[in-house]
Amino acid sequence: MPLHFNLYHEVQRQELARKRDPLRLGTIGILVISIGFVLNYFVDLERAHVIGIHYSAVNDQWSRIQPRAKAAKARQDELNAEIAASDAMIKSVDSRFYWAPVLDQILKAVPRSVQLTHISAEAPNGADVLSTTISISGISSAVEPRKEAEAVRIALNNRLGSQFKHVTSVFKDLDDSDQFVTLDGRRLATATFSLEFQIQVRDPEVAAQPATAARKSKTSDAE
Amino acid sequence: MKLEQDQIKKIGIAAGAFLALLYVYFAFLLGPLQEDEHKSVTGIATLEPEIANAKAQIARTADLELKAPAATAFLERLRNTIPDGAPIAWFPPKMAAFFKSRGIEKSTTHMVSESDDAMPGFRKIVWSIDLPKVEFIPLGLAISTLENNEPLLNILSVTVDAIREDAQYQHATLVLSTLVKS
Repeated sequence: MPLHFNLYHEVQRQELARKRDPLRLGTIGILVISIGFVLNYFVDLERAHVIGIHYSAVNDQWSRIQPRAKAAKARQDELNAEIAASDAMIKSVDSRFYWAPVLDQILKAVPRSVQLTHISAEAPNGADVLSTTISISGISSAVEPRKEAEAVRIALNNRLGSQFKHVTSVFKDLDDSDQFVTLDGRRLATATFSLEFQIQVRDPEVAAQPATAARKSKTSDAE
Repeated sequence: MKLEQDQIKKIGIAAGAFLALLYVYFAFLLGPLQEDEHKSVTGIATLEPEIANAKAQIARTADLELKAPAATAFLERLRNTIPDGAPIAWFPPKMAAFFKSRGIEKSTTHMVSESDDAMPGFRKIVWSIDLPKVEFIPLGLAISTLENNEPLLNILSVTVDAIREDAQYQHATLVLSTLVKS
């Protein structure tokens, strides 16, 4: 076995010590990590840039669309108000009280033997008013003028009842008169009368009964 | 392996440098970048629904704009039927002409009251129309025509009295309201 002399051992030891120098190793490690950080930073920077561009575009879009949306909202409110006004006007026109049919019924119900001297009526004023009153005065002439006046009341009651939901009528006055009239060559006694008709022109708005109250009334009915 | 005093010092320096690097990287580089990114993401998340709502609002208004003319045509038509000018100047002559056209020669119209109507843009005026000599049937027909031709007009009360001297005729008084432009 040949003898081997390492005359460079001191140089090699120093080289090894230099390689194992913690400061050197640490510097290399920090450099590697720094490069990793820099790469990661650039990746993040690119992502942030893309997001920033998107945000900027969205922001631009918003600043363009926002005034238009505000104007659109204002216009929508304006149009809604106009539509509501139009609807209210249609409702108002439709809910008017029409007099011509009432006068027509009066005309048809009164016979030749009765002369009306006064008619007055007021339309229901306001949405919450459900009924109206018609006052009619006249002179009836017949062999039995009171019966004739009653016939007029019934006829008018029936005719108005065919048009309106609920009609009530009462005599305010019914008096025999000492005057006589001649009708178709016959001398007839007369009576003066005043009638009052209560007409329900609108249905009452039925409020929803509370559930508890409804249940209670049901229970009491059962009892 | 036993570390020498010098090596321990170097390791300490290397560790300190590494910590400094970490601090600088996260505090001054990555931190602000991520903060900006977070702001942008939050901004996008906030604005995108707002933009969608705004677009929907614009679409709704456009749709309403198409439908509105039909919905408001009635009101517009009625508004156009109201003459311009003071109602006291045009309404009584209009009524006189109307009743004359229906064979009722004499009529007098007086203003009773004037008030703002619940309908925006309109005023309500109450009138009294006196018809001193009228027959019942022409009166009924005139009222019928008036009610049908004048939707803004509402007859509030009707009074008919027989004329003692002439049984053929009656004396009628109509109280009516009409809407005029305010």
